[in-house]
Amino acid sequence: MDIFTIGELRKTFSNGEVKEEVLKGVNLTLKKGEITALVGSSGSGKSTLLTIAAGLQPASDGKILFDGHNLTSMTSEEMRSIRAKKFGFVFQFAHLVPFLTVEEQLDLMLDVSEVKMPKENRQQEIHYLLERVGLSHRKQAYPASLSGGEKQRVAIARAIIHKPQVLFADEPTASLDSKRSKEIMSLLRDLTKTLNITTLMVTHDEEMLSYVDHVVKMSDGLVV
Amino acid sequence: MSIAWKEIKKNKMKFFILGSIIFLVSLLTFIISGLANGLSQDNAALIKDLPNGQFYINRDAEENYNLSRIDNSVQEQVISKQKDTVAFSIQMGFLNDESDKQRSVAFVASTDSKLFESVAPGEIVLDRSLEKEGIDVGDTLAYKPFDKPLVVKRFVDHKKFSHAPVAYVNIEDYKKMYRSEEMQLLFIPRADETQNFKELQSFSNNDFLNTIPSYSAEQMSLNMIVWFLIVISGMLFAIFFYMMNVQKIGLYGILKAIGVKTSDLFKMMWTQMLYITSLSLALSIGCSQLFKKIAPEDMPYLLTNETTLLLSIVFIVIGFIGATLSGLQMKKVEPLHAIQQGEV
Ligand SMILES: Nc1ncnc2c1ncn2[C@@H]1O[C@H](COP(=O)(O)OP(=O)(O)O)[C@@H](O)[C@H]1O
Ligand SMILES: [Mg+2]
Repeated sequence: MDIFTIGELRKTFSNGEVKEEVLKGVNLTLKKGEITALVGSSGSGKSTLLTIAAGLQPASDGKILFDGHNLTSMTSEEMRSIRAKKFGFVFQFAHLVPFLTVEEQLDLMLDVSEVKMPKENRQQEIHYLLERVGLSHRKQAYPASLSGGEKQRVAIARAIIHKPQVLFADEPTASLDSKRSKEIMSLLRDLTKTLNITTLMVTHDEEMLSYVDHVVKMSDGLVV
Repeated sequence: MSIAWKEIKKNKMKFFILGSIIFLVSLLTFIISGLANGLSQDNAALIKDLPNGQFYINRDAEENYNLSRIDNSVQEQVISKQKDTVAFSIQMGFLNDESDKQRSVAFVASTDSKLFESVAPGEIVLDRSLEKEGIDVGDTLAYKPFDKPLVVKRFVDHKKFSHAPVAYVNIEDYKKMYRSEEMQLLFIPRADETQNFKELQSFSNNDFLNTIPSYSAEQMSLNMIVWFLIVISGMLFAIFFYMMNVQKIGLYGILKAIGVKTSDLFKMMWTQMLYITSLSLALSIGCSQLFKKIAPEDMPYLLTNETTLLLSIVFIVIGFIGATLSGLQMKKVEPLHAIQQGEV
């Protein structure tokens, strides 16, 4: 089942006089519960495509259909609400909140996504997920005391604690060594499959492609 | 979950520094405004304690009550229109006690009125501060130029003028002492609207206070310091939150990316500002009360609860404005910038 459809998406950056068309009419569909990887040389427009799809920057032209809406015609407040409730994000760096403990990071995400559940259930959910990412013993730790791999696990937990429909991940393993990268990818696959979350990720690491369902290659602003 | 509070907990030092600066500035503000108020009481309690109304002096006196002599016929005319009009005079002078020690006082004489002490001829009513200096009821004081003995009848509280204790004398004694048949001032209490008289110039209570030269100079400089301190504290808030926010631009971007509302970021900042300000104010209010107790006896210091409350509210409002102005940059943060800039 198609859950996310991108049609003829264009993006032009203008730098003063100079206009650069970075996306030149991209078409792409994501299937429910499956992992799609964007690959391609640096500068081919992967991150731009992912961030526009995720509602983090506007498109110049085209359609993005999700959940019965066209995201390109939404107001920024509507877009924020979708990001909070229906999307999850993982980036190259974990970007955790420095003054919150591991469990508080997840608690915050539940607040932001306005998930309503009793306090005990909340604690249970958080505990359960931290167990799944292997960090239940570090619940009270602050980001500064975590290793890169641990931080990224927290970031993944934060990205899915509210059970989003789509997970966006831009080079989630780029800052990790090969062993940690594989662990993170297998964790990502494991979690998104159990929760039936659709995933769009960018990677330029060939080794990671064995964990994904579809590979989409981009070149010079187009899917090839 | 209050992430505002969690940040304070994790960054105690930063917020402690802001808190202590606010504490010091607000304490200084409280003390100076207590001093301003105390001095103004010391300088003009006699006038300040009168109800709102209208003061009149001669138009020729050019706003200087000292030069004013109100013609008896004019006085009669005003009194006939306004029954409760009181005519009075204030003269700085000296009294010598029984050991011939000279004391500076402000002689006040008035027509019959509840607003001023009524004194029989040959008697004198003094401000309480002279009692503390060893003068007793029944003592005979001398007004040197005429060697006129005046017997102390009683003391009254808080009656000062031009930093000198007030000495109420009978109007007939006054006329002899200063060889003047006329009074300097007329006062119509609770006069809602200004009544105009051809020969007289009218002043509201405040306007009249400001014609006392030392009064306006003193109050203006002290009040200027108070407002300076308040503005400084507002700027401190603005600068502090500005620096905090600059450091947190990356964080704000991420928070916005995951769907945090900009309004929630503002609420977080306001909550922190409110925590810190309330705590610092509570402390400095406590200390300013303590100062009341340990300040030297003769230091004019008067900090009323209303002034404290008013200043506290001003501090909070100013803190709010300062924080909000510097927080406007949060509105501009784009989620994407933070992500592209890498690790925060
Ligand atoms: N905000 C921007 N302003 C101007 N040019 C940009 C901006 N973001 C990306 N680009 C340009 O768009 C092109 C594609 O960038 P990107 O999508 O990040 O590529 P990839 O992720 O595939 O390496 C690059 O040439 C880059 O310089
Ligand atoms: Mg990229």
